[in-house]
Parts: sequence; structure tokens; C-alpha cells
Amino acid sequence: MNFKHKYLFLLPGLLVLLAILIFPIGFTVRLSLSSWDSFYPALDFIGIENYVRLFTDDARFWEAFGRLSLLSVTTVFLQYVIGFGLALIVWKEIAFQRFFRVLFLIPMMTTPVIMTVIWRTFFHESLGPVNDILSHFNVAPLWLSSETLSKFTVMIVEVWQWTPFMFLLLLAGLLSLPKEPFLAASIDGAGPIRTFFYVTFPLMAPISIGAIIIRLIEASKIMDTVYVLTSGGPGTATETSSFYIFIKGLREFQFGYSAALSLTYLIIMIISFTIIAKLLVKLMVRGN
Amino acid sequence: MSLIASNLSFKPGNEWHLDNVCFEMSKGQIYTILGRTLAGKTTLLKTLAGLISPDEGTLTLDDRDFGSIPVWKREVAMVYQQFINYPHLSVYENVAFPLKQRRMQSDQIKARVMKALQQVGLDGFENRKIQALSGGQQQRVALARSLVKEASVILLDEPLVNLDYKLREQLREEFRNIFSSEASKDSILIYSSTDPVEAMQLGGQILVMDEGRILQQGTSKEVYENPNCTKVAQITNDPAMNLFEGRVDNGRIILSSEIDLELPQHCKGLATGSYIFGMRAAGITLNSTGFPFSVELSEISGSETFLHIRHEMIGVVGLLDSVQNFNTGEVVRVQFDTLQLYVFDQNEQLVSSPYRGLE
Repeated sequence: MNFKHKYLFLLPGLLVLLAILIFPIGFTVRLSLSSWDSFYPALDFIGIENYVRLFTDDARFWEAFGRLSLLSVTTVFLQYVIGFGLALIVWKEIAFQRFFRVLFLIPMMTTPVIMTVIWRTFFHESLGPVNDILSHFNVAPLWLSSETLSKFTVMIVEVWQWTPFMFLLLLAGLLSLPKEPFLAASIDGAGPIRTFFYVTFPLMAPISIGAIIIRLIEASKIMDTVYVLTSGGPGTATETSSFYIFIKGLREFQFGYSAALSLTYLIIMIISFTIIAKLLVKLMVRGN
Repeated sequence: MSLIASNLSFKPGNEWHLDNVCFEMSKGQIYTILGRTLAGKTTLLKTLAGLISPDEGTLTLDDRDFGSIPVWKREVAMVYQQFINYPHLSVYENVAFPLKQRRMQSDQIKARVMKALQQVGLDGFENRKIQALSGGQQQRVALARSLVKEASVILLDEPLVNLDYKLREQLREEFRNIFSSEASKDSILIYSSTDPVEAMQLGGQILVMDEGRILQQGTSKEVYENPNCTKVAQITNDPAMNLFEGRVDNGRIILSSEIDLELPQHCKGLATGSYIFGMRAAGITLNSTGFPFSVELSEISGSETFLHIRHEMIGVVGLLDSVQNFNTGEVVRVQFDTLQLYVFDQNEQLVSSPYRGLE
């Protein structure tokens, strides 16, 4: 067979890739250079005007981005710590081990939007069971309408929803670890805590980095929880980048501008995750 | 310093892994626990290390209760069959690990690590990753990690078993040098092996184990020359000592209707009766005036040939000190060197040995 024919076999895959990835990105780039909105729905060319507006005249986007960074880093950190703790508990031989493994996975099996509705009811300031219980102690926090506390409420729901995912990845990692270094560590005089910090944690570093990056990528897209729980409020207190892009694109129909927002957001994310991954490798692997 | 085990027993299921094990070991000595697979060697070492809690019995080190000390506080070091190291650490960090657990100062750690690496021939390898080393080098790292602790008890659980023949020979020689060096003079070295040749080469004391029990303890010479029962005789020889039943009658040993041997000097005085006779492979040689045996198998091993032969119910292995080929079923004539004959009673206990005569 002629060696050049290999391209024929690659063609179907390339066409699919072109259709589902390259064309939408290319179209978004073109769209971001237009003023397409509900009043003027046409693919005109305005150069980098949308980008100039974003960098000089849109503090709300950057505030939303800062909020997103805070929310995603904090929630993923908490998910990692709690998930690792739970994985360590069921990694060891304990009573009702299988029961606990299933129990810890339940939040992941539920529908996120429906669960967020339930959480919203749960934290409802006048009708919710949380404040009902807290009222016995003469406390009634404004879970959804306080600027500070509403962020905390979003974090609680996110951590509850996604800790099982972290737990699952880390448990799989723990179960795949070789037994020998643990045997050696106990003989070498390392107690349970030192064994964790000197053996378990370093051996888990590659898996931890993978799990953290996956969750950071997911967390940076946070939209449904905010939409259902607070709609970005009170004011813009819980508004995140993706939610702001959603408002600009699908509520205000500023398609050209929201395309510029999306592309800027994408580029920042790619750069951020590259730096974060390198930092994590340096911190968790080489730091050992 | 002495390590004393009294009535150590461990029975996790229906079988005894340790059955009333007793011994006393002194510092500066090397003790080889010799036994077949599943004899209880690893269980015993793990019990000494604190990885297994025995059901019964006590362990004392210098009159202190050694058995109640948790594993990470016990002054033991262990080298395993598998090359157990920390895969995420460098050679230096691996060897330094036990010292860091003791929170020693870094200059002290460095001095001891470099000394240990030098002892095992790995100086210059400090910064290498474990995965970048060969099997033999990985096992040297494990050995250096056990030496650097300067532990009271150093346990070596068949450390050469997973190495190739050449490397095993080389490391065995190095081990012997390390164990006889100054570095090991304050430790009790306990080495487990299935290989009698290895046990004999290491010298020191041998404890022969089988089914969780210690059958005999003594110097390698003593155990080799005077195995106290048939099991010890088999375990301490490779190939296992040939055992065959026969009778002593009128000053002769009658093995079958065709084979009778003159009673050797060291067996004179044996009462008439049935016995189990033992002879190492080296005592059975070819001789044109010998007894007829048919060949079942011939194995060439280096410059020697192991000949598996049979006559009626007597199946033995002979050792020829040259390479020879035989056909299966071929009849050969065999001579028994009765000066090397062992005699055991019907309870399989030693009655007479070529070195000590009648018991």
C-alpha cells in the first residue's frame, strides 16, 4: 500500500475534529471581532474593540473572575482535604467498609441542579430547616442574601457535591499504592503520622495532582450551582466568570462581546492551569 | 546483649505458623534460619520485627520486654526478599530515611549514610533514583538502609532469592564481609534462607525450621555433620540427603534382597533392627563392581551430574564430579560409601553419624 494513503484513514477523524472543535473556536474568534447583538445581528468587523472594552471598561468581569478564583481554589482545596481524609478512613480495614464507601459516593450520584434546589430550600432564610434549628439558639444567618455568607453557602454546596469525586479518585490511588514502602517505613521507625507525610502523601502526589487539576477545571466552570442557588446575588456577590458570560450572551444578547469574554477567559484558564500544574508538580513531587 | 524467644506461637488459622519457638541469640553473631518454603521463617522474622503479634510467648532483649514495643519504636532493621525501598526518594534519601525518623542532625545523617553506602559499594550513587538502579543495586540500598540504623537486631529475609545466580554469588560474598565487619559487631544478624549452601557459607549459627518449629540449632559445622533428625538432614543438604529404609542384621546392613553393605566402624554396636539410613549424594558413586540401579533422570549442573537412580524401593540421587550423559532406564552400577552413612531410628532421630559415631 502507498504510504501516502495513511492520510485517507486519518481524514474522518480530522473532519470530526474540524467540525466539533476547530470550527466553533474559529467562529468564536471571528464573532469576538464583531458587534453582533440583539439590535444588530450581523457579523461585521470592529477589530479589537470588544477586547479594549473588556480590559479598560469592565471591572465587573474581573471582579467575577477574582470571585471565581476564590471559590474554585477554596472548594477544591476543601474537597481534596476532606476527600483524602475519607479515602484514608475506608482504605484501612474498618467495620462496614463497603457501606461507608457507598455512603460517601451518594452526593455524586444525585442530579446537581435538583440537589442545589434542595440546598436552597435547606438554607432558605425564613422557611429553611437550617435557620429553624438555629433559631433555638437565637441565630438566623442570612445564608443567601448576605454578601459574605452567600459565597460560603455556594462553597458548602460545591464541596458537598464534588467531594465524593475526589474521594473516589484518591481511594483508587490509595488502593493502587505498593504495600512495600509502608512495610519499610514501619520498620524504619516512622509512626502513622510520619508514614502519611513521608510515604503516603508523596506516593499519592501524581494522583493528587491529576485529581486537583480535573476538579479545578470543573470548578472553574461553576455555573449551575450559582444560577440555582443565588442567581449571582445578592447583587453580584456570587457572580462568577461563566455566569457573567452567560448574562452577557444569553440575557443581554451581546454575542460579539460575550465571545470576546469567552476567549479571554479560555486563554487565562489555559495559562493559569499550566502554571498551577507546574506549581503543583514542584510542590508535591519535587518537594518530597 | 541477647535476644531470647520463649515459646513463641502463632496460629492464624488451622495451621501453626510458629509452634513453640525458643532460642537465645547474642550480639556480634550471625544466625541463619534455614528451612523450606512455608517453614515459618518469614513469620518468625516478622514477629521479631513487630509486624506480627504472636498468640503466645515472649521476646526479650537484654531482659527488656521486646515484644510489647510497637514496630516503629523497635530497634530492628529488615531487608526483604523483594527489593523494598521508597520509589519516590533518591538513594541518599532512602538510606537517610530511618535516621530522619530519629530526628538526627543532618551532618550526622550525612556521615552515616555515606559510610553505609560505602560499605555496600554504592558510593557515588547518592543522587540516583531507585528506579534507575538494577535489582542488585536496589537490594544494596535496602541493605545500606538496614545498616545505617545501627539497629540491635538486623533481619534479612531471603535477601538474595530474587537475584540472578551470578549476582547472588557476588552479593553473598559481600554480605559475609559486611557482616563480619566492625559495623555489625553490635548487632544480632538474623538471615533466613532456603538454600543450605548459602547458610553454610555465611557460617555462624544455623536454626533449622520446619512447620513452624525449630528442629535444631547449632553451628553450621555441627548441624551439617550431625543433623539430629531426618528432616534436618534433608533441609540442610542440596540435593536433600538420600534416605532409605533397611535392617541391621549380623553386622551387615540389608537394604534389599540384592543390596547389603558392611556395617562401618562408626555404626558398630547398632542393635539388630530396622533403621532409616541417610547418605549425601556425594557418597553415592559409579563403580563397575557396585549394585545395579536403573537411571530415572540425569541432570547436568555446571561441571557435575546429578544422577537419579532406583533399585526396587530404593530411590536415590548420586553425584558424579564430571559431566556425563545417561539414557532413562539405563542400568548403572553404584557404590555406597558407608563411611558417610547416617543412621536414624524409626522415630527419625539420629542414631549414628560419621563424625560422632553412635549417639
